[in-house]
Amino acid sequence: MTYIPSADDLEVITREVWTSFLDGDPAGLLVSGDDVAVERVTGCVHLSGAYTGSIMLSCSGSAARDAAAALFSMQPGDVTQNEIIDAIGELANMVGGNVKSMLPGPSVLSLPAVVQGQLAVPGAHVVREVHLTWRNEPLAVSLWQQAAQAA
Amino acid sequence: MRILVVDDSKAMRMIVVRTLHMAGYDEHEIMQAENGRHAIEVISGAPPDLVLCDWNMPEMSGLELLTALRGAGWQVPFGFVTSEAAPQMREQALAAGAMCLIAKPFTAEDFQEALDPLLA
Repeated sequence: MTYIPSADDLEVITREVWTSFLDGDPAGLLVSGDDVAVERVTGCVHLSGAYTGSIMLSCSGSAARDAAAALFSMQPGDVTQNEIIDAIGELANMVGGNVKSMLPGPSVLSLPAVVQGQLAVPGAHVVREVHLTWRNEPLAVSLWQQAAQAA
Repeated sequence: MRILVVDDSKAMRMIVVRTLHMAGYDEHEIMQAENGRHAIEVISGAPPDLVLCDWNMPEMSGLELLTALRGAGWQVPFGFVTSEAAPQMREQALAAGAMCLIAKPFTAEDFQEALDPLLA
């Protein structure tokens, strides 16, 4: 039977990335029921192969700016749009790569794409999702699966 | 000694450099490249003693870079720093000639454990 990472797995992986590179504080990321507002930044990596789907990381524009500032060791006010794209793409890549390790293989991980706003994958749906809060801003991580593969 | 850090993410290159310093490798000269093709240009100008490379990059991936280096007779020690650390990726990396694979996210201790034997 194929194991699909749970919402708890998504949380653990995201927490590990955040603790390692953004906060150093496991308590900095809280579980929350809040959805990310329409004004958001989304980073996405796509998997194709034994598992076909996507891993998305969405957060508010403010959280995206703070995350970029933390990764680049800058003040949030000095962060450029390119640095936000780089940071959110790399965070999505790290979370996605670790989620991929828990999925059936072999699969190929795409380069990250980053968009302003919400992203949907045609023919795919969310199979796991976790909502978190970082610095009082919402953040969500979701695992998508192509419909043809869904159980 | 020279260490070349290859990653398409500028943020990740900065984190790798910071972590090298935290792990005690601050005496080494650190160079950077943003993909495999750029890395070959840098290596041609100033051969490094160690390459730390992302796996998944545009233009030329880490695995393509390693294959190109070995094909050209360059035996520089090569390690992957990647978010993909499943056993089959490690096997593929080692089979291609990599000496280590460090999984993202990582710590300074992870770097010491992987790199001390290579930089001793």
